[in-house]
Amino acid sequence: MKKLTSVLLSAAMVMSMGMGTAVTASAEEDITLDVIICQYGPNTNEWFLGSGMDGTNFVDKFEAENPGIKLNLDVVSWNDVYTEVDTRLANNNAPDILNIDVFANYANEGLLLPVSDYCPEELYDDFFPSFIDQSVIDGTVWAVPDLASARALYYNVDIFEEVGIEVPTTWAELEDACQAIIDFYDGEIYPWGIDMTTDEGQAAFAYYTWGNGGGFVDENGEWAVNSEENAEAINFALSLVDNGFTNPNPATQTRYDLQDMFAAGKLAMVIAPNSLPTYVADKGGEINMATAGIPANEGKTSSSVGVMDRVMAFKDDSAPDQDARNEAIGKFLTFFYDPENYVGWVSMEGFLPAVYSAVESLVAADPSFGAWLNVLDSCQFYPTAKAEWDQVKQGVIAAEQNALTGADIQEELDALQTQLVG
Amino acid sequence: MNSKKRKRSLEPYLWLLPSILLIGIFVVFPIIIVFRLSFSEISKAGIVGGFAGLDNYKEAVSLPAFPTVMKNTFWWVLSVVGLSTLLGFIAALLLNQKFKGRKIARSILIFPWATSLVIQASVWNYIIKYEYGSLNNVLLNLGIIRQAVNWRSSYQIEFVWECAVGIFVTIPFVTFCVLSGLQSIDEALYESATVDGAGFWHKLFSITLPLVRPSLSVSTVLNIIYVFNSFPIVYTMTKGAPANKTDTMITFLYMLNFYDRKKGPANALSVIGFLILCFCAGIYMITVMRKEEETL
Repeated sequence: MKKLTSVLLSAAMVMSMGMGTAVTASAEEDITLDVIICQYGPNTNEWFLGSGMDGTNFVDKFEAENPGIKLNLDVVSWNDVYTEVDTRLANNNAPDILNIDVFANYANEGLLLPVSDYCPEELYDDFFPSFIDQSVIDGTVWAVPDLASARALYYNVDIFEEVGIEVPTTWAELEDACQAIIDFYDGEIYPWGIDMTTDEGQAAFAYYTWGNGGGFVDENGEWAVNSEENAEAINFALSLVDNGFTNPNPATQTRYDLQDMFAAGKLAMVIAPNSLPTYVADKGGEINMATAGIPANEGKTSSSVGVMDRVMAFKDDSAPDQDARNEAIGKFLTFFYDPENYVGWVSMEGFLPAVYSAVESLVAADPSFGAWLNVLDSCQFYPTAKAEWDQVKQGVIAAEQNALTGADIQEELDALQTQLVG
Repeated sequence: MNSKKRKRSLEPYLWLLPSILLIGIFVVFPIIIVFRLSFSEISKAGIVGGFAGLDNYKEAVSLPAFPTVMKNTFWWVLSVVGLSTLLGFIAALLLNQKFKGRKIARSILIFPWATSLVIQASVWNYIIKYEYGSLNNVLLNLGIIRQAVNWRSSYQIEFVWECAVGIFVTIPFVTFCVLSGLQSIDEALYESATVDGAGFWHKLFSITLPLVRPSLSVSTVLNIIYVFNSFPIVYTMTKGAPANKTDTMITFLYMLNFYDRKKGPANALSVIGFLILCFCAGIYMITVMRKEEETL
């Protein structure tokens, strides 16, 4: 009996050894890429992992077309992604490919691979150059854009017709339009929406300062948050609040609150991304809306605010074959930006594309895209390539919120500027 | 015989082992890590560098928002723990009376406590919303007000709302702690006191209060810890806006870590909070235990 057991046991051991070698052998051939994708909406998960891509999904289709490369892909919500990435970096377990908005901190710490190491030339030339320029530090490109959105002024056409006013293009016209709407509806409808919350207060800063010839940086790209133009612009925004032209609590009412009010017909004008019509329709609102440029100060040019997210690749010194890894990352990107896949992705979530090859089919499917692509050409971006951007973003929001409760905006911005440049 | 004895003396430790393991992994280990991080350089991307001495602590206490946040935390803990204890005690006295529907009243009272705090805070957000909040709607329809009222017109009022919600959700916990104490008091004590001519207040201070003191002290110590560490209400209602003026220490250090990416100071603040809590809870426990020993 004992003998039989030992024979069986050794047989089992031999078999398991054989299986073990088989597994390692296949692992040596396969490259597994850890990918983190941000959740842009309810469809993101379905498209990458479920069955939202014509019955299949991104991972299955990619693995079928690229034998030898496996994807370990996670879709993570925007709320959690920073924590997740931080934790993984702290534990020396960086993802291979990351989709997120920021990149400067990672690049400055030497954690990223330069794009030229992995991005095929043909694909690189397909990106809008103005987008690529936003991911350059010291002459090196560290990330590629995955998609973009641009902001414009949306207004409720019915309200404007009822009151009998034109869409404002300057600040003075904006004040007149606000007053007219207040008078006509006896304060029942807010003319103008302002969001100075921790969610997106930096966008408000951009809308007004860029419309007054100011901004986060000067013409040499150095921080200049405390310029006179900036203080004047924010004071103008605060005067709209004080005059009762806006939603009552700009420090806690986010853009989504504003979009809800707009969808309910309680707000006449809101600055929002190009996905607003989809948002309003999802909320069951039926608003007759149109877009216009963001009003600027007299004699200054209006510019749209572009927001762009990125895809980047982290270094992994433990990878046995760096060239093969780089090639796999390149294949991932080529597959993602292939118009056959990418067009579906961009239009599904209501964003604007980052590559030329997607434009044609997008415009064919929805002619309104053409106008937005022109906006993209003229828009400005946040200076996210500068290392102090996090601090500036939080700093201008705090300055706005302090000013809302009575502080002097020039003093607040001076203090921030001193922190930045000493 | 000897080995049996040894086994028996080991037995309690064996039973305690799972709890000790759990506490070790999920409580002690993270505390040690936070202490270590608070003395380390941490980059914006979260990479831990070398020893930083007290730099993180210096940076944390010199942040412009620090004094406001500490003041808020003090008022937050004092008002929520103080008022919820008072109101919870009164509610417990009422619910200890015999009346029709007492069971239903008791189960309704537990609702706020049994609901998640994020849901509670969101619901209150909707109730006091200016544009389409239900409070304004109800008052308008009843004709009590003519125009919608902006219930959160300044940050001071918003902070008061946060405290009010905090009190509302904490009352049930106090009530049930006190109620369990009340139920263990022998009815005969009250009967003989009544015979001796004691009134309501006399009975309250000479019989009820001394006898429910153990339950009250447990609920107060636990509440100080819970309320100090409470995150969802403030975060859901204002996220500390405007400019950290409605933040408490916990929401502030969260924003510091994940929004401002000042990870070193955030860890230092965590340690400071931990020490403050240990200090408060320690003092309270020592005084209460002493008093209890005296009375026994």
